Amino acid sequence: MTSRLLLLILFFISLHALIFNPSLMKKIFALNILNSAIVLLFITQGASLGSRAPFTTESPDQMVDPVVQALMLTAIVIGVCVTSFSLALVVHLHSRYGSFDYRHIRKELANDG
Amino acid sequence: MRKWSVPAQIAISFVLLLLFLPLFLSQESWPTTARDILAEDAGTQTGAENIVSAIYLGYRAFDTLGETIVLLIALSGTMSVVSLLKRNSEDERTPVSLDFSLEEEKRAHHRLRTHLLEVVTGKIGPIILLFGFYVVMNGHLSPGGGFQGGAIIASGIIFFVLGNPHRREESEIQRTTLHLIESSAFLLFLLAALVPLFITGEVLANPFESKEVYIIALNTFIGLKVGAGISLMCISMIERRNV
Repeated sequence: MTSRLLLLILFFISLHALIFNPSLMKKIFALNILNSAIVLLFITQGASLGSRAPFTTESPDQMVDPVVQALMLTAIVIGVCVTSFSLALVVHLHSRYGSFDYRHIRKELANDG
Repeated sequence: MRKWSVPAQIAISFVLLLLFLPLFLSQESWPTTARDILAEDAGTQTGAENIVSAIYLGYRAFDTLGETIVLLIALSGTMSVVSLLKRNSEDERTPVSLDFSLEEEKRAHHRLRTHLLEVVTGKIGPIILLFGFYVVMNGHLSPGGGFQGGAIIASGIIFFVLGNPHRREESEIQRTTLHLIESSAFLLFLLAALVPLFITGEVLANPFESKEVYIIALNTFIGLKVGAGISLMCISMIERRNV
């Protein structure tokens, strides 16, 4: 239960930063933390079945659920893809408008017409 | 743009949080059916002792093919945006303080380019690369596999790049080689997916007598592809000056 509460706090922090932090770079960090919180939640859920690694040589009764682990593998790879592409976009915006703050960027965009 | 006060921010996040609260704190017992079936059959059906490998290379290999395509698309998007950035900033070229690739005479004055970095990365790089290949090749027997080992290989390559003192001349060759590895690994993965169609009549079915060979081959292709792809992404982001 403690681990779930900690994950909830992590989720709360990232959700708050994702919505209210004006810096686009910190929004990407928040997205990463959100991703990790969800991944850890799934792993915790799968580990409620047992504590042994998912190998056919282990006894099946004490094994964790391998399905969630395989799913989270996909989630991590997609997370890396999203992070790299959004980092490239945000750095591009910064080189053009000189700021990570989306309010500043929006103002500059309005000036550009 | 309206600025939210701190209590309002916390209240709004809290309301959103309440939506997810049941997800995090549910006491529902997790179903064991899938685990029991997989623990029973995964080894004999796919030839992988590691059940996670058995799932993503055996039962869900088609999904893994799509995942590598997502990685390829993200890589090409990142590379194109970064190269656009380089072209724009070419005329007003200011010294980038975070650039690791400096010539020898400038390096003495650079605070990030220390001897420690150079010595440590040069020595650790090959060991990490070896470990990465071990994790890829043993993905069906031990914890690990193509994606995990590929990430380790990528960190080894990045260590090489950081530790290489003569990078300006070689970086173009390195980049071309990594591109070549990335695309040929993807081609090999596609071939490994399609060749069984003509032998067994099914896509991504194992055409060999021994089941392990096919899993090892798929793991190797994925490992090479992920390693080359992620290291390319990182290298293109590290070096902003030399195109």
